[in-house]
Amino acid sequence: MTQHPAFGLMAEFDDPEPMTAAVRAAREAGWRRLEAYSPFPVPEAAEALGVSAAPIGFIALGAGAVGAALAAGTAWYVSVHVYPVNVGGRPLNAWPAFMPTTYLVAILWACAAALLGMLALNGLPRLHHPAFFARGFHRVSEDRFCLFLSAEDPLYDTDGTVQFLRGLSPLRVSEVRGA
Amino acid sequence: MSDDTVPVAEAALRPGAWGFRLAMAGAGAGVVVLAASVAAVLVRGVGVWGNNIPHVWGFDLIAYAWWIGIANAASLFAAVLVLRRHGLRTAVNRFAEAAALAAILAAAAYPILHLGRPWLFLWTLPYPAYTGLWPQFGSPLVWDFWGIMSHVVVTSLFWFIGLIPDLASMRDRAARHGRVRAARAYGLFALGWRGSVAHWHRHQAAYRLVAALVLPLLLWAQTVVALEFATTLVPAWHQARLPLHVVVTGLPSGLGVVLALAAVLRQALSLERYVDERDMDLLARLLASAGLAAGMAYAHELLVGFLEEDYTTRDALTARVFGGGAPAYWGAVLLSAALPQLLWLRAFRTRTLIVVPIGVLAAAGVWLDRWSIVVDGLLRDHMPAVGPGYAPSVAEWGLLGGSVALFALVLLLFGRLVPAVSMFETRHEESESEAEREER
Repeated sequence: MTQHPAFGLMAEFDDPEPMTAAVRAAREAGWRRLEAYSPFPVPEAAEALGVSAAPIGFIALGAGAVGAALAAGTAWYVSVHVYPVNVGGRPLNAWPAFMPTTYLVAILWACAAALLGMLALNGLPRLHHPAFFARGFHRVSEDRFCLFLSAEDPLYDTDGTVQFLRGLSPLRVSEVRGA
Repeated sequence: MSDDTVPVAEAALRPGAWGFRLAMAGAGAGVVVLAASVAAVLVRGVGVWGNNIPHVWGFDLIAYAWWIGIANAASLFAAVLVLRRHGLRTAVNRFAEAAALAAILAAAAYPILHLGRPWLFLWTLPYPAYTGLWPQFGSPLVWDFWGIMSHVVVTSLFWFIGLIPDLASMRDRAARHGRVRAARAYGLFALGWRGSVAHWHRHQAAYRLVAALVLPLLLWAQTVVALEFATTLVPAWHQARLPLHVVVTGLPSGLGVVLALAAVLRQALSLERYVDERDMDLLARLLASAGLAAGMAYAHELLVGFLEEDYTTRDALTARVFGGGAPAYWGAVLLSAALPQLLWLRAFRTRTLIVVPIGVLAAAGVWLDRWSIVVDGLLRDHMPAVGPGYAPSVAEWGLLGGSVALFALVLLLFGRLVPAVSMFETRHEESESEAEREER
């Protein structure tokens, strides 16, 4: 049996604050391939990681605009060109009456795009990830906070990185290897 | 803080007790009745219902408007809690979203069934068909199709996205208990959530954004239903105030149902710690306020209606309020507006045995108001003689009872399979209050 090369190192903490401090320290030390895990949102740590949620707003705005244009365009095209119906001599392009569907479809597209775009930005669904090999990783969904430094980062060398992580006073540092 | 949310997860993972099985059996039997009633409509046509000219809309539209009202008020409540970052949201927004989802599923069946030939419902979609027919975008019926479709899609996405992190917790917990199949099932729906801080950040941003976008969608969904009535020439319906009336009087139904559900679920799943007395107290006061708002809508209806110069409209209102429609009208006022006022008394707010009936009766009162609008609104028309009255048939009662059973079944499965209280928000809240305590 050959052993898998390590995916990286995982440091565990029991509170959000030391994990956030560890994320800041790792970023300051120049780490680029790192991920932090927590059982609930920790906005300060996300900020330290340099993650911005702004793209979600733009995705929603763009999708909403496209949805609105499609809905209004369809209503106009159908009512004026393909299937005109004379309703008491009213204009065929009765745009105020097209607004309710335009509005609904815009919201539908914006909501769906915000949620699906969030999943896409997060790279989900992805049922398989090195982090799941980490010892005791299942406790992250309950009460553990973790910092993962990937072996793909140029700064990675097993002993030095272990020393670095130990210096951040974690509960435990362990190597993450595939099964 | 390690064992904070264990009871919530265990409630979902433990085998069902006899009470749960009994409830499931009852709801299952009701769903069979629903299937039979739907089959009757599909095989024999809408002739099995009591509808006829002038009563083209009977039980089907009453139930539709009623369920939409429940779904609306419940998701309005959930969305507002998310946006306000209210402490109460941890406890009840998951119930509220689930109730909204179950209600919208019950509602969605009606407009399709009442088409007459329900299998052709896709004709309301704009697509190039061999018939050369296209939907009319100026028609409120087409608006309604888009309204309910957006409502269904957005409500279910909102509910599911909020649930993903908790499904991941369930996955890990089931795996630790050695329940591999349960862990795989939860894991599949958790989409591989691993609690990454970056993922959480985007998840929360998307969740809050959708909560904000849901608000105008909800108001609009209910408004469109009312516009279908308001654009007809029937005197009792042809009124600019109808959309507002339907939205406001619908509030007690959704809040009543959420309140009753919260009271029942916290006892059945032993979640008293997560949905505490304070939460129940706030919810009950909210229902009382919704009742007050509904009462104002009824007062406005009478004031505006009797000041109306047009004789036909006044006559129609008189028939609804003091004539043949009096029982339904005053029943609605009593149950959905007056009865919830009892909840201003503190002694009543905290008693499950009082709160649950008031919540359910408030929802029933809103149903009576929908009957009063849909059926009794036709007691007087522009014509001197109005056709025969309306009496629901067995198939319609079956459909109404069956949809209530479907609602119950969906919620029972919800209470059994997924965490009924948002576990990650509870964890967050408790860690925050812990930090506050330490600072002091």
